[in-house]
Order: sequence, then structure tokens, then C-alpha cells
Amino acid sequence: MTSTRSRAYVAFLLSFTSISAVLAADDKLSPQAPAPVAQQAAAPAQVAAPAPQHWSYLPVVAPATPEVKLKDWARRPLDAFVLAKLEGKGLSPAGETDRATFIRRATLDAWGLLPAPQEVANFVNDSSPQAYEKLVDRLLASPRYGERQARRWLDLARYADSAGFQGDATRNNTYRYRDYVINAFNSDKPFNTFIREQVAGDEIAPDSQEALVATGFLTQYPDNPNSRDMIQRKYQITTDMTDTVGSVFLGSTIGCARCHNHKTDKITMKDYYSLQAFFANTSTTEDIKAFQGYAERAYLRDVADYESKIKDIRDEKHPLIEKYRDKAYVYHKERYLTDTREAIFKAEKDWNPTDRWANHRLANWNVTNDDLIVAGYLRYLADDKEAPGYGPEAKADLDKWTKLATAERQFLKDKPEKGSDTITGVEELGHNEAPKSYIFFGGNHERPLEEVQPAFPAAISSDDPAIKPLPYSSGRRTALADWLANEKNPLTARVFVNRVWSNYFVKGIVQTTYDFGKAGDRPSNQELLDHLASDFVEHGWSVKHLHREILLSSTYRQSSDERPDVAKADPDNRLYAVFPRQRLDAEEIRDVWLQVAGRLNEKVGGPSVLPPLPKNVSYGNLWQVSKEKEDWYRRSVYIFTRRSNPYPLLEVFNTPNTQISHPAREVTTTPLQALALLNNDQVEEYAQALAGRILKDAGDDAGRIDRLYQVLFSRAPDEFEKAALLSYLDNHVKVLEEKADNNGRLLVATPIGYKLSESKVDPLRAAAFVDLVHVVGNSNDFVYRF
Amino acid sequence: MANITNRREALFKLGWGTAGLMLGTSLSGGGFMAAEAATLGDPLAPKEPHFPAKAKTVIWLHMDGAPSTLDLFDYKPELIRLAGQEVPASFLQGIKTSTQGGVGKLFASKREWKQYGQSGAHFSDLVSNIGQHADKITFIKNSITVGATHDISILKLNTGDVQPGRPSLGAWVSYALGSANPDLPSYVVLYDGNREPTGGSVNWSSGFLPAVYQGTAFRPGDSPIISLDRADVVGNREQQDDLALLKKLNDHRAALRPEDTELQARIRSFDLAYKMQKSAPEAVDISKESEATKEAYGLNDPVSRAYGTNLLRARRLTERGVRFIHVVSGPAGDGVGDVRNWDAHQKLEDNHRPHARAVDKPIAGLLADLAQRGLLDSTIVVWTSEFGRTSYGQSGDGRDHNPWGYTQWVAGGGFKPGYTHGATDDIGLKSTDKGVDTYDLHATVLNQLGLDHLKTTFLRSGRRERPTVVYGGVVKELLA
Repeated sequence: MTSTRSRAYVAFLLSFTSISAVLAADDKLSPQAPAPVAQQAAAPAQVAAPAPQHWSYLPVVAPATPEVKLKDWARRPLDAFVLAKLEGKGLSPAGETDRATFIRRATLDAWGLLPAPQEVANFVNDSSPQAYEKLVDRLLASPRYGERQARRWLDLARYADSAGFQGDATRNNTYRYRDYVINAFNSDKPFNTFIREQVAGDEIAPDSQEALVATGFLTQYPDNPNSRDMIQRKYQITTDMTDTVGSVFLGSTIGCARCHNHKTDKITMKDYYSLQAFFANTSTTEDIKAFQGYAERAYLRDVADYESKIKDIRDEKHPLIEKYRDKAYVYHKERYLTDTREAIFKAEKDWNPTDRWANHRLANWNVTNDDLIVAGYLRYLADDKEAPGYGPEAKADLDKWTKLATAERQFLKDKPEKGSDTITGVEELGHNEAPKSYIFFGGNHERPLEEVQPAFPAAISSDDPAIKPLPYSSGRRTALADWLANEKNPLTARVFVNRVWSNYFVKGIVQTTYDFGKAGDRPSNQELLDHLASDFVEHGWSVKHLHREILLSSTYRQSSDERPDVAKADPDNRLYAVFPRQRLDAEEIRDVWLQVAGRLNEKVGGPSVLPPLPKNVSYGNLWQVSKEKEDWYRRSVYIFTRRSNPYPLLEVFNTPNTQISHPAREVTTTPLQALALLNNDQVEEYAQALAGRILKDAGDDAGRIDRLYQVLFSRAPDEFEKAALLSYLDNHVKVLEEKADNNGRLLVATPIGYKLSESKVDPLRAAAFVDLVHVVGNSNDFVYRF
Repeated sequence: MANITNRREALFKLGWGTAGLMLGTSLSGGGFMAAEAATLGDPLAPKEPHFPAKAKTVIWLHMDGAPSTLDLFDYKPELIRLAGQEVPASFLQGIKTSTQGGVGKLFASKREWKQYGQSGAHFSDLVSNIGQHADKITFIKNSITVGATHDISILKLNTGDVQPGRPSLGAWVSYALGSANPDLPSYVVLYDGNREPTGGSVNWSSGFLPAVYQGTAFRPGDSPIISLDRADVVGNREQQDDLALLKKLNDHRAALRPEDTELQARIRSFDLAYKMQKSAPEAVDISKESEATKEAYGLNDPVSRAYGTNLLRARRLTERGVRFIHVVSGPAGDGVGDVRNWDAHQKLEDNHRPHARAVDKPIAGLLADLAQRGLLDSTIVVWTSEFGRTSYGQSGDGRDHNPWGYTQWVAGGGFKPGYTHGATDDIGLKSTDKGVDTYDLHATVLNQLGLDHLKTTFLRSGRRERPTVVYGGVVKELLA
């Protein structure tokens, strides 16, 4: 096995660098004789990076505002940087978009929701010179802003409410991290604080619940609790944390250097494993007690209720658990692989840091609870003739256990379906001594080479990490967080402002928002990028300031109409002389439907919710639909993220891959999306509800159609559209009539929230109007913002 | 039902008499020209392979839970002879077992073995129907993988990594070759049982490839795709009227943006969706298949009916140009405990007997049917699982997981028929040579589709990724 794999690595390495070729030539390499290999592997580090050259590794220097001809056009400082590039190409900016289009665009971008028709009218008719400022400040002050912006951060954080892998265990307190992110955006938490809390909150502010919740950023990795190889698990978890931090904050593909020296960037395997070393002592704890606020007390009351219902059963189970627990745990522990067994059978006084990690995982992981352990052991005793203790007694006990477990299962429906009184976060188990870190040959953790210390990638920084061990923690992550969140870090601010920019303008200034290295894209306008980055830092890393500058810019105010001259001169629109139209995100499509249907429940925060699945879909006990109907109408950011089974209506519109950090939403257009919008019963319900609202408000067909367009598109229909829709209505009534069976009975969708029996509207015409609303809601104007 | 109030649905009693118009289906369910799709920047437009392909379709039969191939294909007289004894230490060298204090005693189940065909390959009594096709099959008896638990090894089998996040092989194939029939998804997943397979969609995920390449789950029943059916309040003619209006509105607005192909593609996607409403149920409708065919696929036996239905559907999808058909075996027996899949840690007899019965006849039926229709040459049938099972027993009458040496097989698609590649040691525990890893299998399957696994790449976050990660090679000996 080992020999096969190493051969595979060798073949791969051969194809890349001459250093690796030397490595490969020695086919007798083994972990026992690592000396020559270590020297070879270390070699690249010695030759690497005399001085940082690559543009993104150089410090950000605030550029001087360029001279431009169209001085009046530049409302905000960033506009001058955009305009200078356009003028350099002989291009002029696009004309200003009309106010109604603008407010629809800005509201979708800032909130992920539509402006109400009255809000549109107010803005369009606002003659104040501060009209735009008032609008933008109102948008940024709403909690809807944080909900929308958090979603993009959660993509980066590979956020999910379950662990993934086969069992896909529920993580019932991870919503606290999601709420932390929403609150951070809404309260405009300085971005440098945001970083420090997420990477090292437990070290920086160990007494702050908020900071502990923030470290949930590191714990979002997919995990398989029943892994029999904890040493491999530790390596994979550390890898996940390292690669995520590298990708999210540094826009770096540093993860490549895990198996080989980076092909294009001067990042060596030594750099990579030195970065991993910052996380070497990091453990995850899933049951840190949370402050008992109202929600926690309510949850505990529900738990107490549930426990009182199963008390008799538990009391009967208890002696069985007592009888078998010790042996059952030994049996369970024996089933881990060799290295893991060594760690978990060691006496506590002999634990090294890795042993501590393994024992903590064993004790904390929820698979390790008495019931599961004892049940597994009893089954073994009763079934396996070779088991010590096999016999009638074990069989009788298993029967008794099975009966009790079946009885207990009857009460599962009474178990609190959501909530928690705990936090998941990281900690270093009260010790500051970290396991040693090594370069691993070909990324194989069973082949350690040279030992490494925590260090920043040499190509990016020559600083030594200022690690100050704490009594309870190594202090390593604090040193890393301080470096990441430092204004001198050449990447952090650039990477973040570029991500925000790309959310508005589709393409980043650096198109590869996830790769600022040499293989990545060059910035189309580095002065613009550096201006945004330095302005962001100067304004106290205020994310709202950044959004405000963009939303108020002339660049953002441009029309999205096609411009043949620009398409010719700048076919990829890298210079932003046209505002790019954009398809709504999955969450926006659903949220906007809920909003216009009058269904949206705007409660902020709390445990995730599970709305009904489409017909014919069952995820078994992995998707217990929320009991309270108002939960079905929460914003999509609150929908339970089940790694193995994402919510279908969202997934079809390109929700993020939750297994790894997800840098950007793709837009693919598929017939499955069309099917979802045509046939999904919830979308049908939204159309019925929207039709009901409009029938209630507006007088005649023309008035209703006008109202519908105002609600959905912030504009009136044009003459063509009016004519098409009115003629559709007339004809569609006949089409519906044709559905009638021999008894004259027919089934149609009717408006919701509108009493047909009390209205003067012909019932069939009302039904035809539901279909009309559904069609208009499926149009391109609905799923795009312009 | 008759009150016309605020109900979502209402039946109207109307005086207008009977419905008159029968529907003219102006939108046909038939073949949509590939070239038409290509003009729209369609990510599923057909693409040329790197070199001429031997095969067009892959039918990937994943035996969920990992069968003991020692009890199906890998005949080991020495194991039978030594049954009941401790495993000789020499056999255990170099492997990491997950039981302290030694492993169980060598175990042999009560099998009858027979040789079949010109090749004389051994098949046990559990797979006597498949044995009839011995000379169509290419055995890989030195299969190896990593992992001790199902989830990570299933991931590796499908995606090449023990961590979620990479594209499955089917997604790579979709990405590299596009679709041969835009009326159907190019990558379809079939499974039975009343819920999604454990681990779920991550095993047919597109990973870091665009989501359009992920597998589309075809659920059991008449309506295989989520949201395929019109709501019961919407009629066909009504929907056509709706779609005509939608197109009119979209075309009108799109005229303002003549260069915008993405908007055009979205307009077209509704046509495709409408066609799929007809083509997908038609593709899985086996009602018009002959009685003989149904019998051959085991549809008359309740134990094999569900799996046989899936394989018959797989053949129909093959005929319709679907590129990759990923079939996950389902529960057999009473569907609880260890019999929900092949994972026989105990009572191997009670587990394997129904599971083998569920798949043996359907697989034989599929091989015969494909061959008879002249499809086998252009279709790769892969019989695979996440790992095998140990020669030593567990719980006295079961077997533990074995990633060190087990059997998989392939048929059709330019593979060398009637050939056995590699071997395990005398007790069937470990491969006797470097073995064929999942990466090698992936590289070889891609090769038969005309794809060089080293050139099938996607630039993700600056990394040029390929299906075989950084491993794998084409196993040339397997090819005809």
C-alpha cells in the first residue's frame, strides 16, 4: 500500500521541479531515513524570495488621485481611478441609470430584497440633493444588509449546520457563528477585529462569548465522527483550517504547497507546513456553555420537558449502562487504528500534545455517548460467539435494551427540534505546548521530514511571528491573526475590498478573487484596488464605509445598457464602462418571492429552520420539517445547511459547495432551474399569494398589471407588455375552461388571501391572473437585476 | 373541495360544458439538435474527446456497503482450507488493522464455486447468473484503496479524495464531453429505497466544477426528477400558454440586449424544461418493455425488482445518450440493521444472500441486453465498491473492511473480455502486487471515453485540477 502510494507521488513530483526529480531518484526513501530528503526539501526555502517582487506581496501605498478630464463625473474618490483608466482607453463612462432602476439595483445588492413600490416612488420623487445619500444610509442601517452580506462570508467560511460525510451529524449550535457574522456586518465591526476574533478569539478574549463563537470560523470543516484514524483526522482538520485561512484572508492558493513546492508562487512546502504549525495545538470543543439568555432558558425548559417524559425509560436503562459502560468504552477504543489506540490508551499523566488532542476528540465527540457505546457493545456481546461475555445474559440484556430504546424512540417527536445552550469553538485545552510540526513528504502525514516552526510565508513577509505563549494556549494563532489583521499585510485589505467590489460589479478588479498569486489574474486597475484598500484601512477597516463609497459612486450609478463601442474596446468590461447586469443569487430568488408574496418572516437570527421539501423528496430524519409554519418563511440565510442534502430550491440556483471555502457564486442556466420555477409547489404558492395581494389592491386588469410590474420590477409595463398581458388574460380564461371535465369541473390555482366569493372578479379570470403572475415572476426581469 | 374561497386549489363547478380542445403538442419531445445548444454558449454542448473513444457511456454499479468479493468472485481454496485458524502473521504484514489484540480467525462461508465460460473464471453460487457472462467480463482482482470507513472510501471511489469537495468521475465526464442529448441530464444517478443514499449528493457532486455538471438524481417512481411534474392545478395546454407568454415577454426585453447570450440561454432553458417533462418520464418508463426483458432483469422477483428496474432504466438512458449512469445498490432483506446494504460485519450469509439475489439477475440481464442490442461495445459497465472484506472473520460469521485487496470488474467499452488482472494472496487479503487503485480505474475508464486523465483539467483557484488528483495511470493490460 505505502509503496504504491509513494510511487504515485514520485511520478507526480517528477513532472514538476528538478528538486523533486532529485527526490524521486531516490526510490528507497523511507521515514526512517529522512536526512537526505529533508535537505532536499529544505533547499527551495533557502533559494526562495530574496525580496518580494510580485505586485500583491508589495505593501499597499495609497495612490494619488489621478487627473481626469470629466472632473464633474467623479462623485467619490474611487470614480477618478475608474475614469482615468477609461479616458486612457478613449472611453467615456456610461450614462446614469434612472432612479427606479437604481433603487432596485442597490436594494438587491445591499439587502438581497426588493424595494417596496412606495420606497421607489419616494426615491424617484425626492428632489433633495441628498436623495442618494439618504437611500444608501437607510439601506446600510437595516438588519437586512447584514443578512445579505453575511451570506457571502458564510460561503467563504464553508458554513454548514451539519458535519458532512456519511452520518452528516447535525451541528445544532453552529447557527451562533452565522449570527455572529450577521451581527458583525450589521454593527460594522471593524474588519481587523473580525479577523482576530475568528482566528484567535479564544486566546485574545477567552472570557467573551462573542469571541468564542467567532472561532466557529475554524470549526466549520466537514468531519466524520466515526473516523477510526484520529491522527489522519487531525492532519485533515489542520489542513482544512490552514487552507481556509490562506484562501479567505490571503487570497492564496497556498494549499498547493502541501504536496509540492508551489509551481508559480515562491511558496515552499516549508512555508506551507510552517503556516500549518499555527494550528498545531488547536482543538474543537462543541459544548462550551453559553450564557443563559432567554432563548437558552427556553431551550433548557424544552429539554427538561422532554427528559421528564423519558425519565422512567432512562431510569431503567441506567443500571444497564452502569453494568457495561467501562467495558463498552474499552471495546469502542480498541476499534481505532494503531496510532490512535496508542494515544487513547495512554495514562493522562503521559499525554503529549497530540495524545491530548486525540483524547479530547474522543471525549467530546457526540458519537461517544453512553447510549451508543453501550448499545454497540451489547450487540457485539450478544452476536459474537468469540466475545468475552457472550451468552444468554448478554442476549437478555440486549433484548431489554432494545425494548427500552424502542420505547424511548417514541418520544423523539417531543425532543426540542432546535436551539442549544452551548457554543462550538476552538481552544488549546489549557496547555501552551504544541505538537511538533513537520514537512510531510508528498503531503503524506505518515512520512514526516524536517521539523518546522510557525512562520509566515517567506515570499509574503520577512517578519518573525511574535508568539507570546499564554498559560492556557500556545499564542500561535494570536500571532497569526495579528499579522493577518495588520495594515502592513499586503494582501488582507486588497483581497477583501476586491471581494466586495466583485459582489457589485460581478468581476473583481483582480478577477481571480481567490488567487492573488502569480498564477492569478493581474489587477485591471491596481490604483483603484490600492485606493480602495488603503481608504478601507484608513477608515478603521469599516466595511460599511467601503459599501457606502461604492454605492454612492458614479461608477455604480452607470446604466447597464449594452454599449457596442465598449464591447469592442473592452470586451470583458474589465474597466467598468458598463454596469454589469447580474442574475440574482439563489437566496435572493427565494427571498424576493417570499417578500412579494407577503410571506417573508423577517425575524433576525436564531436556530436554523427547515422548510418543506419538494414533493417526492425525503431526506429521512436528516430533514425534519420545522413545526412552526412561520419558520418556513424565514430568509434563506436561516435555512438549515445540510451538507449531504442541500435545500433543493436553493441548490438548483448554485448555492455554494459547503465542503470547502467557496469564493464566488457561479451562474449556470439549466432546465432544472426552469422546472423548479415552473413546478415547485412553494413557488406556485408564492404566485398565488402575490396574485391575491394585487387583486385586493388594484382595480381593473390594466391596473393590476401595472401594480404587478411596480412590485416586481419597480417600473410600469410598456405598451407591448400591457397588450401581451391583457390578451393573454382573455385567452387564458378560455384555456382554463378547456380543462373542465365532463361534469364541468376543473382544477385551477386560485389567489391566496383574497376571497373570491366576496369579489366581483370572475373566478376564472382570477385564476388566469395567478398564472399571469407566475409567468411574469419567471421572466428574466425577475431573476436578473440590471 | 368545491368552495371557491382562499384555498390553494379549488374545483370549480362550471356551466360551460365539456372541455373541447385536445392539445396539439407543438413542442416535440424528440431530439434537440446539439448544434443548436452549442450556439448558446451551453456548458453542456458536446465536446470532442482527446482521441477517438471506444465507449460513449459508463454504467457505474456501486455496490453500497462493500460486498465480500471473497464470497463472489475471488476463489481461495487456501482460505477454505485454513478456515477457523489464526491468520498467519506473514499475511498481516504492512497493514493497519482496527482491532486490538489481533484479528478474528480465518473465515470461509458455505459457498459452491463453479468455473464459467471459455475463460474458466470462478463464480460462487451467489452470482451464478453473472457467471453466464464470464466471457464478457474483465476482472480486476488486485483492487486497492485507502480508508477503514465507508464514507471516506465511497468518496474516494467516486471523487478521488477521502475529503468531500472534489468532483465525482461522472461530473468530470460531463464536463469533458458535454451532453449527447440535451433533453436529458448527461449524468444521472439511480437508486432505490425510500430515501436518499447515505452520504447523499456529495458522491455525485460537481465539486469545484460548475454545478451544471453534477449528477441529477433520478428517484424511483414515474417522475424521476425534482419538480419535473406540473402542479396538479396546471394543465399541459395551460402551461404551453404560459410558456408562450413567458417567451414573448423575455424576447421583447432581450431585444434590448441583443448580445446577451446568457439571457438567451435562459429563454431556451424553458423550452428544454418543457421537453424534459416528457423525455425524462419517457426515458424511465419501462411499461412497454417486453415480458421477456422484464423477466431477464429480475423484475418478477420481489427481491430483485427495485434494482432490476434501475438497471433497465440504465439501459434506456444508455440508448438515449446519457453519458454517465451511476447506480447505487439499495437495501435488501428486511431493510434494517446490517442488511440495508452489503456491510456484513456479522451474519454474512443472511446479508449477502438477499443482496446478491437483488443484483445477480439484473446485472446478468443488463449484460445480455446490452450485448444483444449491440450497445455493450460502446458502454462500459463497472462493478465496484468502496472496498472489499477481510479473509478473517468478525463476530464469528461476518467480515470486516478490506482496502488491501479485493475484486472489481468491468465489461464492454473496449475492455479485454474474459481476462483476469492481478490477484490477491492465498487467503485473499492483500493484492500480490502494487494493485489497481481507484485513480487507476478512473484513468482507465476516462481513457476508454477518449479522455487523457492528465489533460482533462479544470483551473480551480489557480490549481490545474484533474480527475485523478496527482495519481493514477491507465491500466493498459485491461484493454482489448
